Amino acid sequence: MKDLKPADKATQADGTPAGIDGRSEQRESDEQLMLAFAAGQSDAFTALFNRYKQPLFGFFRRRLADPAQAEELTQETFIAILRSAPQYQPSALFRTFLYAIALRILRAHRRKAAFRATFLGERPVGHEPASHCDPVIDLFMREAMAQLQNSDREVLLLREFEQLSYSEIAEVLSLPLNTVRSRLFRARSALHELLGAPAATRTHNAPVTEVRA
Amino acid sequence: MIATTHLVSPEEVMAFVDGELSSAEAATVSAHIAECAECASMAAQFRETSESVARWTVPAVPESLDASVAQLIAKAGNENPTSKPIRSILFGGRHWTVAQLGTIAAVLLLFTAGLTMHYSSPTARLSDRAQSVDRNGLFVEPRNSAGDSVSRPQAAPLPSPAMQSMSGIEADRLVQLPPGVVAGNLSESRSRAQQAATKGSGLPNAFANQGASQPTPMIAHSVSLTVQVRDLGASRAALDALLSRHRGYAAQLTVNTAEGLPRSLQGSLRVPDGELAAAIAEMRALGRVEMETQSGEEVTQQHADLVARLENARETEQRLRELLAQRTGKIDEVLQVEEEIDRVRGEIEQMEAEQKILEHRVDFATVELRLAEQYREQLGAPSASVSVQIGNAFVAGLRHGENTLVGVLLFVEEAGPTALIWLAILAVPGILLWRRYRRMLNQR
Repeated sequence: MKDLKPADKATQADGTPAGIDGRSEQRESDEQLMLAFAAGQSDAFTALFNRYKQPLFGFFRRRLADPAQAEELTQETFIAILRSAPQYQPSALFRTFLYAIALRILRAHRRKAAFRATFLGERPVGHEPASHCDPVIDLFMREAMAQLQNSDREVLLLREFEQLSYSEIAEVLSLPLNTVRSRLFRARSALHELLGAPAATRTHNAPVTEVRA
Repeated sequence: MIATTHLVSPEEVMAFVDGELSSAEAATVSAHIAECAECASMAAQFRETSESVARWTVPAVPESLDASVAQLIAKAGNENPTSKPIRSILFGGRHWTVAQLGTIAAVLLLFTAGLTMHYSSPTARLSDRAQSVDRNGLFVEPRNSAGDSVSRPQAAPLPSPAMQSMSGIEADRLVQLPPGVVAGNLSESRSRAQQAATKGSGLPNAFANQGASQPTPMIAHSVSLTVQVRDLGASRAALDALLSRHRGYAAQLTVNTAEGLPRSLQGSLRVPDGELAAAIAEMRALGRVEMETQSGEEVTQQHADLVARLENARETEQRLRELLAQRTGKIDEVLQVEEEIDRVRGEIEQMEAEQKILEHRVDFATVELRLAEQYREQLGAPSASVSVQIGNAFVAGLRHGENTLVGVLLFVEEAGPTALIWLAILAVPGILLWRRYRRMLNQR
C-alpha cells in the first residue's frame, strides 16, 4: 500500500500523465524488473527507464541550474545502473539504489564543477528562465532552497519531490533515522518561514525583486 | 512558537502528517490534534508547505534522452551484462582514486627504500663466506666471524727450486742476495761490471754502465685477464701447477665461495718475464676469456738514471769516509761529516730499494687474473641450517626495521624545518583556493 502511493504521487507531482506508464494494471515491481534485466531481458530495463526517467530528470532538474546538465546526468545515472545491474542485490529497494547512485553522480558533478570554477575561473552556468512552469515559482523555489542549510536541503528535497520515506532517506544519505527526522523538521520550519510572506499573495504577478530581498 | 508542554513533539506531528508513524502512535497524535488547536494548526502548516512546494514542477524529459538511452540499452543487451573487466574488479571502477595511487606509490617507495637499505647494510652479507688463501695454497677461514671478505696480501718468498732454476738460466744476471734484503724481492744487478764497480775500487763508471745496459730495453709488463671457467676447483689446481711450472708466484690471491653467488678467484700473480707469453697462453686456455689487457712500461731510462744517481751517491760516501779518515779537525766538523755520511747512506739505501723494486717489476711481469665460475644453483644441503637462516633473517629484519625507524626520524629531523617553511608558504594560497572551492561547491 505504502509502496505504491509515493510513486503515483511522484508522477503526478512531476506533471506526467499517469497514462504514460501503461503497465500500471499488471505492474511488476522495480526489483523484479531489475533482476530480469540482470538475467538478460533488455526490455525490462526499458520499462524501468520509462518508469523513472521523469522522476530522475526532475531530481537533477531541481538541483541544477542548467537543464542540459540535468539531462546529461540523468543519462549518466541510467548508464551507471546499466553497468551495475549484475551487482544489484534485491535486498535494497530499487528506488533507494537509484537515488543513491544519482546523488553520487550529482556530488561528483558538483565537485568537478567547483574544481573547474576554482582553478579555471569558470563561473557556474547562470539560471535560464524556465518555460515549463511558472518562472516566478521556479526562481522563487530555487532561491528558497538556496537559503536552507546544505544538510537540511537534501533531506527536504528527497522527501517532498522524490517522495522517499524517512527510512529510505536515511539509507540514501547514510544517516540515522532520527537525524533525518530532525533535519526534515528544521528544513520545513525554515521553509515555512521563507514561504510565509508570499504564501498569502501567491500570485503570478508577485515581483521577483521582492522575493530576493 | 512551539510549546514543549504538549503530549506529542512537533516532530511527531510532522511524522504523522507524513504517514511515518505506526498505527498506535498515529492514534495518539490524531487524538491529541483533535483536542489541541496549536498542534492542529501545525499539522495544517506542514500540509500547506508541502502543497506549496509541490507547485514547483519541472518540464518533461527531452526526447533526446529517450533516444540515447534506448541506444545504450540496445548496446548493453548485446553485451553480456555479467562480464566485467578485470581492471574494474581489481580497482573498483573506471578511475583510480587518489588513495589507490597513493598506496601504490607508498609501496613502491618502501620497496625501493628496503632494497637500498638491504644493499647498504653489512648484515646483508652475513651469509657470505669468503676464504682467503695462505701461501701454501690451503684455504684458511677468515679471521672475523662476520665473514667479511678477507684478502691477505702475501710477501711470499720464492720457493727455492724456482730460485735455483732461475739462476741456472740467467746465469749472467746472478747475484748474491745481500743480507737483510726483504724476502720475496728478488734483487739483482743489471750487470756484473756495475756490481764490481760499486763493491770494488769505487771508480765512477756510470757512463760505461749506461752504455752497457742501453741495448736491452727494460720493460715492465702487466697483464689483466678475466676468464670464465667451468669449474673453479679444477681451474685453481691448474693455475697452481701453471705457476710452479713457470716459476711464478701469487702475490695475492682471494677466493670467494660465498653461497648463492658464483664462485670466483682473484689474484695478483707474478710470472718471470721470459715465461709470460707461455703462462698467459695457458691461463687463457683455462676457460673463456672475457677480457684481456696488456701493457708494457718502458723503464730503461728510469733505471739508468737511478743507477747513475746511486753511483754518485756511493762516490760521495766514499769520499766523505776518506775525508774522515785522513783529516783531523774539530769535534764539530767531524760530527758534521758523520751526519753527512749518514744522510748519504740513507739515500743510497733508498735508491737501492727502488732499484730492486724496479728490476723486480721488469723481471717479473704482473698478471691480474680473475677467474669467475659460471653460477650453478647447488642442490646439496645448504651450509647454514634452516633454523639458522630463519634466525638470521629475523635478526636482519629487526635491524632493518630499526634502521628504517631511525632513518625516518633522521629524515623528519633533517627535512622537517624546510617542510614547515614550505608549508607556511604554500598554506596561504592553499587556504584561499580551498575557500573558493567550498564557495563554488555550495553554489547551485
